[in-house]
Amino acid sequence: MRKTYGKQLPGMQLADLAGKLIVVEGTDGAGRTTQINLLKTWLEEQGHAVLDTGMTRSPLAGEGIRRAKEGNNLGRVTQSLFYATDFVDRLENEIAPALRAGFVVLTDRYIYSLMARAIVRGMDEAWIRSIYSVALVPDAVIYLRIGVDELIPRVIFSRGFDYWESGMDVFPGPDMYENFRSYQTALLAEFDKLSVEYRFETVDASADVKTVFAELQKKVMRILEGDSRKEYVSKRYEEMVEGALARPPEAQARDASSKDLEWWLHTAAARQAANGDGRNVA
Amino acid sequence: MNTGNNVRMGPFELCDPVAQAMARTQRNGGQQFPGKLFVVEGIDGSGKSTQLSLLHKWLESKGYGVVFSTWNSSPLVKDTTKLGKKKKMLTPATFSLIHATDFADRIERSILPLLKAGAVVLCDRYVYTAFARDVARGMDRQWVRELYEFAMKPTVAFYFRVPLETAIGRLVTARDGFKFYEAGLDIGLSDDPTESFRLFQGRILQEYEKMIPEFGLTVIDATLPVEVQQAEVRQIAKTHLDRAKDLRVRP
Repeated sequence: MRKTYGKQLPGMQLADLAGKLIVVEGTDGAGRTTQINLLKTWLEEQGHAVLDTGMTRSPLAGEGIRRAKEGNNLGRVTQSLFYATDFVDRLENEIAPALRAGFVVLTDRYIYSLMARAIVRGMDEAWIRSIYSVALVPDAVIYLRIGVDELIPRVIFSRGFDYWESGMDVFPGPDMYENFRSYQTALLAEFDKLSVEYRFETVDASADVKTVFAELQKKVMRILEGDSRKEYVSKRYEEMVEGALARPPEAQARDASSKDLEWWLHTAAARQAANGDGRNVA
Repeated sequence: MNTGNNVRMGPFELCDPVAQAMARTQRNGGQQFPGKLFVVEGIDGSGKSTQLSLLHKWLESKGYGVVFSTWNSSPLVKDTTKLGKKKKMLTPATFSLIHATDFADRIERSILPLLKAGAVVLCDRYVYTAFARDVARGMDRQWVRELYEFAMKPTVAFYFRVPLETAIGRLVTARDGFKFYEAGLDIGLSDDPTESFRLFQGRILQEYEKMIPEFGLTVIDATLPVEVQQAEVRQIAKTHLDRAKDLRVRP
C-alpha cells in the first residue's frame, strides 16, 4: 500500500492509490521537461494513461506565486509556504485522483526540489520536512544530475540567467553569474544529500537527450513491470477476446458495429495468425 | 508544542525565525526584540476585535508607536485566498497552508521588522486561530503547530472566552447569514449553515480551551461588560509596557 512521509491528510485514502508515481528531479536546466515529454509520449503509446504535473501549475496558487515572484518583496518563509500550498493543491486534486484512477503520474520536481530550495535559503530542515511529511512516497525518484560547469552553457544558450535561478534573493553580491554558480552549487550539494536519504535513482544528465532517455526508459520499465495491474489487464483482455470468439457468427456481426470490438477482433485475428493457431475467425 | 528542542513558539520570546534557522546550533540564544506584541484570540462574536481597537486607541493616546495587523491581509497572498474561497477550491490542508503563507508574509515583511524597531504590534488573530480552525477541520494537531514554528511568541495572547450561544446570539443580530468556510460547510457537518456554524465553532471552542494551558493564553471573561474587559486588558498591557525599554514613541 502507498505510504506518506509520516502524516496523512484528511480524506486521503492510501489503499485506493493504485497508479504509479514517478518523480523526475534535478536542478534547473538538467533537462527534466524534455525527458518528461518524451516519457509521456512513450508511455501513452504503450497504452498507459499519464498525468504530468509540475511546480506552480496548481489552479489555486500557481498564478499567485508567479505574481509574487514578479515583485521584490517575497520573503523566504512566505515563498516556502506558497510553494507548499501549490504542492498540496496538486497532490490532493491532481496527483491523488490520477493515482486512484490507475494513471502513471509523472511529476516534474517534487518535495525534494522544494526542500532543497528552502534549505539553501536558510529554512530549518526539520520544519520543512515536517510540512512535507504529508507527501506521498513515490514509486521512484529519478534524479537527473548535472554539474554546475555543464549546466552553465545550457543556461547561457537557452534562456539566460534568471533572477530566482541565480539565487539573487539568497546571495548578497550584484553579480548574476557568480550568484548563479554559488546558488546552483549549494542546491546541488543539497540534492546530493537528499539523494541518499530518499534513495534517488541518479542518471547522468550531462549525456545527450537520447542516451538519458534510454536510461530513463529502462528505469520506468522496471517500475511498471512490478505492477500487479499488468497481469490483471492482460487477463481481462484475453477473457474478452475469448468471449467474443465463442459467440455465433450472427452475434459477431452484430457486435462488429461496435468499433471497440471490431478492433479487438482485428487484433485477435492478427494474434491468432501470428501464433499459427488454425482457428478460423471470420 | 512543548515536545522537543526544535520548538520556537515556546522557549524564545520575539526572536528572528530566519536567524534562528540559520543558527540552529545556538538554539538557546533566542534574540530579544525591543518591541511588544499583543494578540487577541477567540471565536467569532467573542468581541475581541472591539477590545483590540479600544486598546489601540488607548496606546496611541499614550504616545506609543502602535501598528495593527489583521488576519488574512497580506497583499501578496490574499488574492489567492480569496480565489480559493470564492471557488470553494480549498481543502482543510490548502486552507491551512494558504493562511500560513499569508501569516508568514505579514511576519516577514511587517511584524518582525516592526518588533525589531521597537514598535507595539497588535494582531487581530494569531497562530492560535489557525491551530483551532485547522484542527477543527481535521488537520493533524502536531503538524499545524510545526507549520507555524516560524512565528514568534507574543508578549501577551488575550483569549476572549465566551459560551457558544452568547457568541451566536451576537452574530445573528449583527449580520445576515454565514459564509461557506466560516460556517465550516466545507467539512460537511451539516447542510444548514447556522447549524454547521454552531457545530464548527463548538469544535473551535474546544481547541481554544485546550490551548489555554498549552500556550499560557491570558483568559478574559468576554461575557463581562466591554468596559470591564477593557480595563483588565489595559492593566495587563501596562505591566509589560512599563518594564519595556527602547520602545518607539510616535513622532
